[in-house]
Amino acid sequence: MKKTNTIFQDGDHKWVAIVRDPDRPGHLVDTNEYLVTHGGQGMLLDPGGAEVFPAVFSALSGEFDPSALSAVFASHQDPDICSSLALWLEFNPGMRCYVSWLWESFIPHFGGTKETFVTIPDPGMDIFLGGLSLQAVPAHYLHSSGNFHLYDKQAKILFSGDVGAALLPAGQDALFVENFDTHIRYAEGFHKRWMGSNDAKRRWCERVASMEINLLCPQHGAIYQGSDVQRFINWFDELQVGVLGS
Amino acid sequence: MSPMNPSIAAKEPQAGIDLLRIVRINEEIKAVVGVAFKINIMALNAIFLAKRAGTAALGFGVLSNELRTFSQDLRSCMGALTVLIHRCVTEVSVVLQDIRKTRLLSEAVSLSALSKLNPVVVRRERENIEHQERLAALRRQLLRALDDAFQLVELGGVLAKSAKIEAAYGQSFAASLAQVSGEFDGVVEEIRNSLLALRHSEFFK
Repeated sequence: MKKTNTIFQDGDHKWVAIVRDPDRPGHLVDTNEYLVTHGGQGMLLDPGGAEVFPAVFSALSGEFDPSALSAVFASHQDPDICSSLALWLEFNPGMRCYVSWLWESFIPHFGGTKETFVTIPDPGMDIFLGGLSLQAVPAHYLHSSGNFHLYDKQAKILFSGDVGAALLPAGQDALFVENFDTHIRYAEGFHKRWMGSNDAKRRWCERVASMEINLLCPQHGAIYQGSDVQRFINWFDELQVGVLGS
Repeated sequence: MSPMNPSIAAKEPQAGIDLLRIVRINEEIKAVVGVAFKINIMALNAIFLAKRAGTAALGFGVLSNELRTFSQDLRSCMGALTVLIHRCVTEVSVVLQDIRKTRLLSEAVSLSALSKLNPVVVRRERENIEHQERLAALRRQLLRALDDAFQLVELGGVLAKSAKIEAAYGQSFAASLAQVSGEFDGVVEEIRNSLLALRHSEFFK
C-alpha cells in the first residue's frame, strides 16, 4: 500500500503526497499522487494509472473520504496520469476532471462523460476548490503538447507534473530531495529525453522563477523544497532538452 | 498488491478464450459467405448451360435457379450471423472490461476497509451479471441462427442431389451437367461441414 504524507497544513487546507508503493509491480513506473483539500472538498492531482488505483485509493481513503473528491486534475494525457479515471468515477460519478482542452476528446477513452471534463485553455485558468483558488500554470511541451501544472499561492506549492521527475533506483525512496547533486543525476536523462522543447523549457523557467514556491512536487521521484526549488529551476534552465542518448 | 479474488481471476481468462472462439466462428462464417458467393456464380453458369441443353435440361434449369436463390438466402443468413457475432464481440469486450474494473475496485475496497464503499462493488458486480446474462442470451440467439442456417444448407444439399439426378436426363449435355451438379454437391457439403463444426464450438458449451 502507498504511504500518505501531509506536506502542508493550515487548518483544513492541506496537501497530502501519496507516494512509494512497496507492493508495486516492477514493470509499472512509480508515481506520486497529491491530494489537495480545502473547505471540506478534495482534488486529486494526477490520480494515476488503473493498475495502481487500489493502492492510491486505499491510501487516500485513510486521509479523506473519497466520495467527497470533487475533482481530479490531470497535468496531461498519459496513462500513468489518469487511466484510473473510470474507477474514480465509479465511486463519485459527479467528479470533474480538469485537463487541457487539447485532450478533451482523448482522455474520455479512459472513462467519463462529456460532463466530467472541464477543459483548461492554453493560457491557463483559476480552479476553485472549497473557496481556495488554485492556478493552472501552462507547461506545454513539457513534455506533453497540452500540459499544465498547478500552483497553490497560499501554500506556496507547485505541482509540476513530469518536470522535476526523477526515476530513482530501488531503495532511494525519501520523500524530499536530500542531496540535490546526487538526486539530479536521476532526473537528467529523463528531462533530456522526455522534454521536447528548449523554448518551452525557457518560458516555464521564467514563469515559475517569479513565483513564490516552497515545495516543487513532481509526479515521479522526490519533492524539492526550500533552496532546492530554485536550484532545480536553474539546473533545468541550463539543460539542453529534446536530445537522444546521454 | 493484494491477491486477486479467485472468482474474478477465473473469469478473466475465460472471457479472453470466449473472445478467441468468437473470432474463430467469425472467420468460419466469412469462409461460408465466400463459398455462398461461389454457388451463386456456379448457379448462374448452370442456368446458361441448362438453356443451351434445351428441353433435356428443363428440370436441371429449375434446380439451378433454386440453387441460386439458396445461395442468396444463405448469404442473408450469414449476414444475420455476422451481426450477432459483432454483438457477441462487443459484449465479451464489455465483460473483459468489467472483470478488470471489478478486480481493481474490489482490491481498493478490501485495502481501504471502508464498508460504505462496498455498495459500489456490489453495483459493479450486478452490472457484470447483467452483461454476462446479455452475452448468454446472445450465445443462445447465435446458436438458433446457426441451426436455421444448417436447415437451409440441408435444403441446399437436397437441391444439389436432385440436380445430380436431373443431370442424368441431360442427353448429350449429361456429362457437363453431371460435373456441375457434382460441384454443387461438393460445395454444399463443404458448407454443411463448416456449420456442423460451428455448432460444436466450445463457445456454445
